[in-house]
Amino acid sequence: MLARAHTFTIDGLHSRHVTVEVDIRRGLPAFAIVGLVDASVREARERVQAAILNSGYEFPARRITANLAPGDVPKAGPGLDLALACALLAASGQLPPERLESHALFGELALDGEVKLCRGTLAVAQATRRAGLKALILAGAGAGEASLVEGLDVAAVTRLSSAVRVLSGGPADLPGERGALQRSTRATGKRGSASAGPDLDEVRGQHHAVHAIVIAAAGGHNSLLSGPPGTGKTMLAQRVASILPALSRSEAIEVTRIHGIAGLRTSGLLDSRPFRAPHHSITAAGLVGGAQRGWVGEVVLAHNGVLFLDELSEFSRPTLEALRQPLEDGRVAIVRARGSAVYPTRFMLIAATNPCPCGYAGDHDRCGCSERDLERHRRRLSGPLLDRIDLLVQFARDRTHDLNAAPLMSSKVAREAVALARERQAARLKQEGLTVNAHMDVRALRKHVRLDEKGDAMLRDAREQGMLSARGAHRALRVARTIADLNASGRVRPVDVGSAIALRADAGFAASRAT
Amino acid sequence: MRASEQDGGRVSACASCLRRSWLLAQLNTRLNYGCENRGALMELLALGDEELMQAIGGRRRVDLKARYAQFDTGEMRQVDGVEALCRHDRRYPRALSGAGAPSMLNVAGGLERLGELTSGPVVAIAGSRRASDYGIEIAKSLGRGLAASGVSVTSGLADGISAAAHAGALEIQGGTLAVIAGGVDTGCPVKRRSLYERIRRRGCALAELPCGSPAQRWGHPASERIVAELASLTVLVEAEETAYELFGARLALALGRTVAVVPGRVTSPLSRGPHALLIGGAHLVRGPADVLELLCEIGAPELQGIPEARSQLEPRLQSVLEKVGAGKDTPDKLTASHEDAAEVLLALTELELMGLLGRGDGGRYVPRDPLAVGWAASSRVV
Repeated sequence: MLARAHTFTIDGLHSRHVTVEVDIRRGLPAFAIVGLVDASVREARERVQAAILNSGYEFPARRITANLAPGDVPKAGPGLDLALACALLAASGQLPPERLESHALFGELALDGEVKLCRGTLAVAQATRRAGLKALILAGAGAGEASLVEGLDVAAVTRLSSAVRVLSGGPADLPGERGALQRSTRATGKRGSASAGPDLDEVRGQHHAVHAIVIAAAGGHNSLLSGPPGTGKTMLAQRVASILPALSRSEAIEVTRIHGIAGLRTSGLLDSRPFRAPHHSITAAGLVGGAQRGWVGEVVLAHNGVLFLDELSEFSRPTLEALRQPLEDGRVAIVRARGSAVYPTRFMLIAATNPCPCGYAGDHDRCGCSERDLERHRRRLSGPLLDRIDLLVQFARDRTHDLNAAPLMSSKVAREAVALARERQAARLKQEGLTVNAHMDVRALRKHVRLDEKGDAMLRDAREQGMLSARGAHRALRVARTIADLNASGRVRPVDVGSAIALRADAGFAASRAT
Repeated sequence: MRASEQDGGRVSACASCLRRSWLLAQLNTRLNYGCENRGALMELLALGDEELMQAIGGRRRVDLKARYAQFDTGEMRQVDGVEALCRHDRRYPRALSGAGAPSMLNVAGGLERLGELTSGPVVAIAGSRRASDYGIEIAKSLGRGLAASGVSVTSGLADGISAAAHAGALEIQGGTLAVIAGGVDTGCPVKRRSLYERIRRRGCALAELPCGSPAQRWGHPASERIVAELASLTVLVEAEETAYELFGARLALALGRTVAVVPGRVTSPLSRGPHALLIGGAHLVRGPADVLELLCEIGAPELQGIPEARSQLEPRLQSVLEKVGAGKDTPDKLTASHEDAAEVLLALTELELMGLLGRGDGGRYVPRDPLAVGWAASSRVV
């Protein structure tokens, strides 16, 4: 007897439709799975057999062949267990095969017959909808995530026997209350990231740095935090996520799907922007990811959020070089022997570093770095990376700072200012299909950033005196536009240009020593 | 026994002086070995050829003496644009007449220009290799100011203060004399190459070792001695209170030259050297104007003053500039309230664009002298 079932396997950030065919015929008892399967699918044999027997069904003592089609797509992961088991039960006549044509199955089986959640639920649900199937049967914990997809029936099951019941026309364990779930997730989406995370009002002193980080957040600008150890670089960076506006619904779905595939989140809609802070020992492959089995890197996980690189100068050179394409294009194309994949990477980069190897540059009594140390440190940071950083958030070592002083602003106030500035940007950049100033290309800059005479003269002087490169001037214009947006100013005033030039990224690295 | 003028007059040195240079290059290893004891090194360099070979020739002494006797000026490498000049030539700098002075110099940049640069007053600028941004800015400002009023600035093209002094003089297209610790063509470290090329275009590079020789450890103190001897006044900008960092200034004192220092913060280790000399009776200078005054006192010919370039600043800029000079050198320290933060940044940028402020270590603002303004404006036209 032959039976078919539909399931999905994860490939990069997408899931591919897989048809499971099970054939049972006379012969020596055997259970073979073919169709370019990896080790975790081959191990499904044991899980499926035990789950079927422990659920009270019969495991036919005959020659069983399972084929996973199409044969040229590599299949991986334990999510195919449920489809295998159900196809096998259908082939042995223990389950009516009709509903297997319209229902997709996705889940791992435990030996006692329990259905467990696998990563990539949202991607699978979207693919089920695209494949034209009516319903998706999956583990209960994934119901919330799967029901984000409109027009798909989701049946949550906890055991293999429940799946058999659903396929025989019975009810699911947890009714797929799509409407209710969506309402609640939408509400959290609107409420935004009013989470109980760290708040900006815990930062005392360093008003200049707070001011600069608000500008960076408002325009989505890549920024470099520089300052002596212990001045609050990491502290401030960790609070950036709290002042960014909430994800839009489409952004949230995209982020949830990516994080689901990476196995970071398994239920519900992600409502706050991702904040990724990898340790500096990360490799280039860890940062950008691999093409195989949805192994996504940190730049992809930071999509629509923040990538924070602490101690930037400690990262290896190849790792930092690997950041170029993601920063420039907003996507990363990975090609490996096993396949290629393109991942979205629109993140805001926040890097932190000490101004010199010892960290106390500018503090005459403490800095013990030689000219050569400073030069080496500057060279490590400069070049391709510093070229893509819009503004410098400078921390000062100030002994007079009162740790009980009033904070500059709370996250709530900053978030409102940022949200207003972003609204203005989005309205202006609608035609270009952009949302923040940081992504403006040269043509958009020319169109939207007009300077008056004084501002223009300042920018020209800065270029002539070698303070800004051509690219640096464009960065300064983007930042100036954002500062104007924060101040609700329609045109870019000289004071905005002046601030943008003062905040330029390479100003902190012994510029005066260049001879 | 003047050597015949070879290859278009590149050699204006007699054979015995060329041989001295050759001999020093032969003894590089020995001299490097003992150069930690700088006093002893100076004594060695003051010895005659025979005594020098006797003193440090070691086991190779006999062989060395034989080669010394057969020395032929043809053995010396000739390099385009480099001229050899010995103390028997009348164009040799008159200041280099002490017992330890080199007997010949390889000159890059032209003998005529060397003559011009050494005919007027020469000021040496000495200081630490690990200078702070304050010291760098002061050294540049001294270089600029002195070069603008026709004083030749000399130093050893080392890291820190020394390179900054050269760079300052070059900023306003002034002449500067760099004494190099190896061959005049090959003794300059790669990272100073662009500075070196500019010095050769506008000033002179000098070296006592033959062309083609890499920089030598003993060459650094030896070049400091030439710098100290060339100059009638040595200005020490920043130095720790160690024999190593104060060597140039102490040597100048020993040679009977005048020494001046620029003071700094008493808490900074880099100020201890200058302050120690100050207590010992050195002159105090605050900038190029003080140096010029001091030069007049010690009998230099009439000098042109430093051009006054600063026009009247707006009061808001003036007050920011003064606050930065008084140590409020970060936007945080300058900002009284959140409201005026943008205005402060604007003023800082305007002052930076005028050349009155520079960016120092860690992004701090450092005051620059007003001279940079006028010249920056005029040099942009050139």
